[in-house]
Amino acid sequence: MAGRLLLRACTQTTLRLRSNVVARPLHRAMSSGKGIPTDDEQATGLERRALQALKQGKDPYSMLKPKEYAGTKADPHIVPSIGNQRMVGCVCEEDNTAIVWFWLHKGDAQRCPSCGSHYQLVHHELPH
Amino acid sequence: MAHQAHAYHMVDPSPWPLTGAIAALLMTSGLAVWFHQHSMILMAIGTVLMLLTMYQWWRDIVREGTFQGHHTPPVQKGLRYGMILFITSEVFFFLGFFWAFYHASLAPTPELGGCWPPTGIFTLDPLEVPLLNTAVLLASGVTVTWAHHSMMGGDRKQAIQSLTMTIVLGFYFTVLQAMEYVDAPFTIGDGVYGATFFVATGFHGLHVMIGSIFLAVCLLRQIKHHFTSGHHFGFEAAAWYWHFVDVVWLFLYVSIYWWGS
Repeated sequence: MAGRLLLRACTQTTLRLRSNVVARPLHRAMSSGKGIPTDDEQATGLERRALQALKQGKDPYSMLKPKEYAGTKADPHIVPSIGNQRMVGCVCEEDNTAIVWFWLHKGDAQRCPSCGSHYQLVHHELPH
Repeated sequence: MAHQAHAYHMVDPSPWPLTGAIAALLMTSGLAVWFHQHSMILMAIGTVLMLLTMYQWWRDIVREGTFQGHHTPPVQKGLRYGMILFITSEVFFFLGFFWAFYHASLAPTPELGGCWPPTGIFTLDPLEVPLLNTAVLLASGVTVTWAHHSMMGGDRKQAIQSLTMTIVLGFYFTVLQAMEYVDAPFTIGDGVYGATFFVATGFHGLHVMIGSIFLAVCLLRQIKHHFTSGHHFGFEAAAWYWHFVDVVWLFLYVSIYWWGS
């Protein structure tokens, strides 16, 4: 490995010395203005997908605090899910230590068996 | 394509924690072997293994973050917490040595002559090289901040220049301090004065070297276009560490060099 590093260092130095003849531009073609790329230009993988989604106002990776809903029939808690069901834990009243867990299925809104708040499953796609 | 629905990074299995643990074992037992059986080989193997572990583990983190995009905002937040907690632990490490210094110097024992500095100790003049060292580290704090702002503003040339200057200043500090060590009129064996002086400033110097290496790695990565104007946490971590090293020096200077002289 050290041999490879040394070889790479030597070839790179030689190439750089040779290319000094041509005026080397300070900026790379992609980076904005003064030479350091932006996230928009260089982010990749999951980071890129997460940032691009946030820019469009979406939050597929649940990075932000969930929105607050009234939990009524007219304004149910919206529960995003990548599948047909998702587990919900209802803290019926603030500071309750006994959480009410239940599966929320695709279809009509369901109500918490303890406090009756309405929950509605909504499908969301993962960006890819 | 099967993807995770969360923004966290479930890391792939890696051998480096194991090699790191083995390195720690070999280094510590090697230290004991060196003391009692006069052989450095075990310690040397442990050190080599530790350096290899560090290189490969951190190389993998750079690959995971920069090249594969696993360092989403929540992951980055976790890394920030991690670095802050680590630096906090280092603060406590130094606090111990400051405790030792103040314990010895606030109530000097009769063996020292009941005074501080102890009888027979010729202290270094705080207005000479130590003051220059203070200026050098403060200036390096300015240059590293300049580098950060250049990076955030997308200015590649200035980021590289200011980061290089920071490393040069760090190196200058190390050279000056090494010269002070060689020319000092007292040694680590000269009572509690020598012990507290050299252990506290010695660990500080070690941290300056570690910080300089960290900054140098960041310089190399910046040259290779790893950082973006919005995401350069490796550099921020190095800058935080560097500021910590600077602050420790300021405490050392005021306590040991100035008040203690």
